[in-house]
Amino acid sequence: MTPISKDRRLLISLVVFAAAVLLPAVLHDTFWLRVTTEAIMWVGLALGFDVIAGYTGYLNFGHQAFFGIGAYTTAMLMMKAHWPFLLAMPAGGVVGAAAALVIGIPTLRLRGAYFAIATWAVARAVQQGALMASFTGGPDGMRTTAFLNPQYFYYVMLAVVAATFFGLWFLLERAPFGLKLKAVREDQESAKALGLNPTVLKIKAFMLSAIPTALCGGVFAYWVTFIDPNSTLGDLLSDQALVMVIFGGMGTLVGPVIGAVLIFMFKTLFWAYLSAYEVLYLIILGAVIALSVVFLPDGVMGIAFRRRRGRAAPTVPQPAATPTEKEA
Amino acid sequence: MELLPQALIDGIMLGAIYINIAIAFSLVYGVLHIIDFAVGEWIMLGAFTGYHLTLLTHVEPFLLLPIIFVIFAGLGLLLQPLIQRVLSGHKGNPTLMALVFTFGLALMVRGLAQTFFGFYSHSIPSRFSAGSFFFQRGSFFVTISSVRLLGLVYAVVLTLLLNLMLRKTDFGLAIRALAMQKEAAGLMGVNATRTNRWLFAIYVGVTAMTGVLIGVILSVASKMGPENSILAFFVVVLAGMGYLAGVPAAAFLLGIIQSIFLVYLDPGYTMMAVFGILYLILLVSPTGMFRRGM
Amino acid sequence: MQCSKGLALLAASALAIVAGAQEARDYYKIGVVCELSGDTVTGGNVCKRGYDLWAQEVNAQGGIKVGSKKYKVQLFYGDSQSNPSTGAAAAERLITQEHVDFMFGPYTSGCAIAVGPVVEKYKVPIINGSAESPNVWLQHFKYSFGAIPPVNFTGAMAIQTLAKLEPKPKTAVVFGSNDTFSKATATAFNAECEKQGIKVFKFNIVPEGQDLTPLLSAMKGLRPDIIAFGGHDEELINLVKDLRQIDYTPKAVLMHYGVTEPAFVDALKGDANQVFGGAVWDEATKTSSKILWKDSQAYATAAKKAFGVPADYTQAGCSVSGIIFQEAVAKLNAAPPLNEATREKLIPVLEGLDLQTFYGRIKFATEGDFYHANVGISPLTVQIQNGVVKTVGPAAVAEAKAQYPMTPWSQR
Repeated sequence: MTPISKDRRLLISLVVFAAAVLLPAVLHDTFWLRVTTEAIMWVGLALGFDVIAGYTGYLNFGHQAFFGIGAYTTAMLMMKAHWPFLLAMPAGGVVGAAAALVIGIPTLRLRGAYFAIATWAVARAVQQGALMASFTGGPDGMRTTAFLNPQYFYYVMLAVVAATFFGLWFLLERAPFGLKLKAVREDQESAKALGLNPTVLKIKAFMLSAIPTALCGGVFAYWVTFIDPNSTLGDLLSDQALVMVIFGGMGTLVGPVIGAVLIFMFKTLFWAYLSAYEVLYLIILGAVIALSVVFLPDGVMGIAFRRRRGRAAPTVPQPAATPTEKEA
Repeated sequence: MELLPQALIDGIMLGAIYINIAIAFSLVYGVLHIIDFAVGEWIMLGAFTGYHLTLLTHVEPFLLLPIIFVIFAGLGLLLQPLIQRVLSGHKGNPTLMALVFTFGLALMVRGLAQTFFGFYSHSIPSRFSAGSFFFQRGSFFVTISSVRLLGLVYAVVLTLLLNLMLRKTDFGLAIRALAMQKEAAGLMGVNATRTNRWLFAIYVGVTAMTGVLIGVILSVASKMGPENSILAFFVVVLAGMGYLAGVPAAAFLLGIIQSIFLVYLDPGYTMMAVFGILYLILLVSPTGMFRRGM
Repeated sequence: MQCSKGLALLAASALAIVAGAQEARDYYKIGVVCELSGDTVTGGNVCKRGYDLWAQEVNAQGGIKVGSKKYKVQLFYGDSQSNPSTGAAAAERLITQEHVDFMFGPYTSGCAIAVGPVVEKYKVPIINGSAESPNVWLQHFKYSFGAIPPVNFTGAMAIQTLAKLEPKPKTAVVFGSNDTFSKATATAFNAECEKQGIKVFKFNIVPEGQDLTPLLSAMKGLRPDIIAFGGHDEELINLVKDLRQIDYTPKAVLMHYGVTEPAFVDALKGDANQVFGGAVWDEATKTSSKILWKDSQAYATAAKKAFGVPADYTQAGCSVSGIIFQEAVAKLNAAPPLNEATREKLIPVLEGLDLQTFYGRIKFATEGDFYHANVGISPLTVQIQNGVVKTVGPAAVAEAKAQYPMTPWSQR
């Protein structure tokens, strides 16, 4: 395959974005608008996941905590403090970033599988907290005022996710920040020797992964009108984000986009038109994951860049799986 | 105060189940460095097999355990080469990829189970389910359920057997050698491929037997996998990944934490406490309670 | 220019005609949002059986009689995957793509709450055959109705029945799993115990799926007369097994839904006997109706024949949702397809219904906490006797005497 230079890729992304902006003008079916809105949301979630997983090498199995924090913050501000949505949703993002800071400082000292399990434990604890607290509605969840305007939510979600994508493009592919993260991912000690501060970099990356996730959670709360601990703080969210990122290609920005769109569309088509065979979906998804691990370790992006390995291709991320050291 | 002995004993009984869930899992991680996401699904499959076999043969399920072991060890033997292939891949990160692979496997198995086993809950009948022992001394009293006591005995025997195997057999020597130094072990004549295969087979067999136990004490359902996987992870991390001797202590601790919350504190916060404690332990000592993990 | 303006006008009106026109149909399309996968697939399938059985029966009789013609029905399913947002998406798809006339609702309240605004936007009435959480009705969705009253309306009955038994129970412990329905059930039990003067030693909400043995062992020392528990599926089975394992037999064990599920008796065999439950219907309930099934027995027989398992009150509630639909469209004389204006007119018709069905009386509340839930039906207390569910209260409709206190485990 011919190599696609970074500038070319940016151009293609802008074209795709323009198409996405124009889509509702031709797509009037509210169901398909809803589906594409959710697909866009998953792109956002996958991108957030990839920042900390692919670029920085830390698998965050508690990714859903930020989604839930964003969702509940937005819902509570709107319903209890009567904030307008366009203020409540960004506030959710801010709280999500703050949570990433608070959780990240102690937790990012761990590596690999330990970090994964630790973040998972935190997310589970947050979910239990939401189930027990009365101000979150407990297991009954919370409602937001119904405002069912598919175009509105499509554009809000697109705005959030596009801002994420292009913002991350600038930060990770253009600015040195991305390289610095990869340096930390490959060898933290050497990175220190180069004068980088891994701790600060990791925390920034963690916050960067939390913000789009929390914002998507905020939009979700208003869009679906009902949230509860199961739907916003469940494991399924990180599981799916993980699959999308791995399938699409870790450590890239386009990879998560492709992975999210393909997997989500497949899932939706199956669910909408083959619901009698719903159980088959689990089996197929599992098989797809298992097989792509064996045959497609670099994801779909890996296929596109196979010929270019060693030259301008994105490096294969190697997140450490065993904690060989723990920073004090 | 009168409730304390009972609470502790109940915690230990809960812990016995957790030992069974986690012990083989810890061994496999220590040697093969696989975090098998499908551990809960082996338990589920073992439970269903035990349920159907008991129904078919009307034999006491505890007596059927060896058959379950053989069936699932066979399954493990067939499956391990596939996992091995993923682990020895040169692309991406092998351990991470193995994790994702087992995750996909777990999804597939759960889907198949739901298709073929349906979604109703079942219970495996056993002639031990009915009995219990009751002790009273003054205002202290303790009831111990026979079947849970049997589960504790089974856990102890299992731990001792595994320990015996590790320390006294050549096979166990090979396992320990591989866990310590993979390359050097090979130089010493340890056939890593064969050892790994058999170890994985034993792991799947033992874990499936645990499923039968859970089916007798609690219940069987096609969606019981994930909750058991969670328990396995918790115990193994608490014990120290790969540190077998830590598993019983960690399992009992988990059981006692739950018991204390249920009896003395607000039970609603039990799981929150469990996850909170897991998180704190990881922060303070990621290599487990005894700092002997990998 | 004149020419292109004319063409534009023609195109616009053609589009308008196409958009506004509905396909002519001689059958009703009903969309069903249901949990066909995910955590609550068991309950979702119970609902599906109920809806399917109604559709089969009404079609076997030639269809719904509206005016002088009969119209058959066809059900279109959308899987909510036990997830509220997917439920809402399923509802949207059924309405905008399949153009359904009417809808039947899911098993869980979370889904029902997420679907509520969607059906309200498109003005498609929905009858929830299940969804017993009080929360759903507190939302006052104009287009949502419920065939089963919420658990805060029915939960008190079981405690009332127990309170009347001799020797009168004086103490109780009440637990509930931390999910919306079980929590509401346990809360209802607790409130009624206090009203009846039964002292509640402990009232706890526990994490879902938690092994309760330590809690029960501790309670054994207090010897409560009643153990009341709200939960699902395997939690109920585990509770009875736990009591057996610690060898404690209270005077009464009360659960809510789930004891009426065949899997409960199947798993526990003899240990399931004498467990009390709450229901709003069972096959011995004395009802009489002219619509589809003449009484409970007729329905139970038909259900057993069709699916091989006895019907429980959730399945029956879903079947009766269909009956409510057919009576409403017949009364309004509304033949398919139903356009938005007609569907809007169905709301007051539904609100005004007062039906006698095999299930019992159907009458929806039009205000208050039980808005649009069926408050015409009376709750029952049931007990499993010899593996069969029997109504033991209230006294006026009891078909069997309550077996109380429970026979100790060791004597069984």
